[in-house]
Amino acid sequence: MNKTWLVFKNELLNTIRRKSFILTLILIPLGSFIVLGIISLLQNSEAGAQVGQVFGGSQGVQVHGLVDQSGLIREIPEGSPGQFELYPSEQAARQALDEGAIDAFVLIAEDYLENGTVYYYRPDFNPMEGFDLSAELEHIINTNLLGENQALLARVQNPLNMEMEVLNPEPQRDPGNMLTFFLPYAVTFLFYIVILSSASLMLSSITSEKQNRVIEILMTSITPMQMLTGKIIALGLAGLFQTIVWTTAGLLLLRVSGTTFSLPAEFQLPVSIIFWGAIFFLLGYAVYASLMAGAGALVPNLRESSQVTTILVIPMVIPLMMINPLIQQPNGTIAVVLSLFPLTAPVSMMTRLAGTQVPIWQILLSILLLAITAALVIRAVSGMFRAQNLLSGQPFRMNVFFKALLGRL
Amino acid sequence: MATIDVRNVCKRFGKQQVVDDVSFEVVRGEIFGLLGPNGAGKTTTIRMILDIFKPDSGTISILGGPMTEDKKDRIGYLPEERGLYQDISLERGLVYLATLKGLSASEAQKRIQTWLERFDLADHKNKRIKELSKGMQQKAQLIATLVHEPELIIIDEPFSALDPVNTQMVKDLLREQRDAGKAIVMCTHQMHQVEELADRLVLINRGQSVLYGSLDEVRRRYAGQDVIVRALAPLPASLPGVDRVERENGQYRLHLTSGTTVQDLLRCLVEENIPLEQFEVALPTLDQIFIQIVTREGEAL
Repeated sequence: MNKTWLVFKNELLNTIRRKSFILTLILIPLGSFIVLGIISLLQNSEAGAQVGQVFGGSQGVQVHGLVDQSGLIREIPEGSPGQFELYPSEQAARQALDEGAIDAFVLIAEDYLENGTVYYYRPDFNPMEGFDLSAELEHIINTNLLGENQALLARVQNPLNMEMEVLNPEPQRDPGNMLTFFLPYAVTFLFYIVILSSASLMLSSITSEKQNRVIEILMTSITPMQMLTGKIIALGLAGLFQTIVWTTAGLLLLRVSGTTFSLPAEFQLPVSIIFWGAIFFLLGYAVYASLMAGAGALVPNLRESSQVTTILVIPMVIPLMMINPLIQQPNGTIAVVLSLFPLTAPVSMMTRLAGTQVPIWQILLSILLLAITAALVIRAVSGMFRAQNLLSGQPFRMNVFFKALLGRL
Repeated sequence: MATIDVRNVCKRFGKQQVVDDVSFEVVRGEIFGLLGPNGAGKTTTIRMILDIFKPDSGTISILGGPMTEDKKDRIGYLPEERGLYQDISLERGLVYLATLKGLSASEAQKRIQTWLERFDLADHKNKRIKELSKGMQQKAQLIATLVHEPELIIIDEPFSALDPVNTQMVKDLLREQRDAGKAIVMCTHQMHQVEELADRLVLINRGQSVLYGSLDEVRRRYAGQDVIVRALAPLPASLPGVDRVERENGQYRLHLTSGTTVQDLLRCLVEENIPLEQFEVALPTLDQIFIQIVTREGEAL
């Protein structure tokens, strides 16, 4: 037990003293805060508008001509968005366009009432511009058509005044809000990265000891199990620390956004996500780090170990590939299956937890299945983690690995 | 009681019989040579002694019984493939390995400081190991092997990649450890290196033990009828009982006829009044003995 502690301490110190670990731990939340700071600064100042111009292009106010051949347009209603000027004929509008007095013009055809035909003339090609104008044109035409009947006009312009009452006590998210997608998306990536990076540390730690050839000295000082246990706990703890720091920073970020941007309350994640996050991280890590440890026992060098990583992380990538159904239907069949299947569960369940209310029985079942899988994998890998494998130097074969995992070697 | 007692040990990897019925003993206060060409099964034998591999058959007793976790702390092992953590400081790497051998961190630090000073490495203790020269890394390895004052020291290929100065240093160190009562196993294919150090040896070829005993006894057993003579005057053209004379490096190598003893030749030279500077029985080198054995084995096949 004492030697397991020594391995644990050494591994933990090696990991958290690594520059890359410290940098990613600090820089990722710090970077997010800086981006948030810049955005809120821009929003609260004129600088924001200037930056908006830089990115949106300096368009200035566009003036449009309007030629009415149908005889329906008597006047341009006050308060119309955009700037329209009436021209008596197509010729006059063309002339104004040529002279640069207007940027484009719209011609309402003679047979407008029968066919609804409207022509749009502009000197350069811009397919999107017509769509932008359509709402303004509709407003002008509707006002002129129904101007005498204000009540009818109001209904035509605003036919539904829907009031939605949600029978769920939880605040619902606006499907149109970008955060509805990006919040679970960010959580998915966070968990994918922390589980993958911690598990990969396991593989690189073992293969580097093989590459450094320290492994043979270690094998005459400690048992393979002491080595495996010490490493798994140390790297898991380092990863857990990273997860908690990042998740807490993420929550803080949302809280700060809440006050700065008056972010809707439904986008505030519950603090319980840190608790579930820690559990799903630990179990997911236990499964993947053990798999990596097993592979680490069998691979002869770092180069081959990176090929093995690619294959082992495939199940982790599935939730990323299915991110759309996962986020859009967080309680749909695909999401439920992915969050219960142990190899995809850690990432998928966190996506769902960030996106919706997950029934508690599903969370607990997922944890149970994941815990059973972790126990089975650890047992299989401890059988693989023998001195003979660690010192063999044989090339890695995937079928040997899977056979060993299933206990058929 | 023997420190190591290997009896009829066999080990097979796949279809290859790597170690085949090997037996030997190593006792306290001796340097024991475990010899053989590359691929003879030496490292596998060592790994079985250290309980890294299990033998297929036979028994191994170490420090008075089977290997236990506690006994690992009483053994110092320097494997052929030298290894140290590359990315951490020399001192930290050594302290970690020493604590794994049962020393407290403070005790390990104290002893390592003494060793680093002895090996002129004290100024480099904060450097990363990969920044050290190969020779320095070799010395660091030795520190890791000896710092916990093991009763049994096993060194695989002790002189590989060492310059003459460091080779001499390792030899002195091994003698010092032997004189302190440690049991030392030196495993090597460089047999000439063993000749001046080993007290006893076992020679393994193709997994089998082909020679076992004390160095002197083995060399005498394989000594032929040759005598080396250095004289201040030229030797007569013919000497009774000598069928061939070879001159090499200012000395004579005399091949005696069967039935002639060394004493007969010495008496004859004295009677002839030849002023002698050197007169010695030509003992074969271990390399010569090994070639003799392997050739004989080859002929037997």
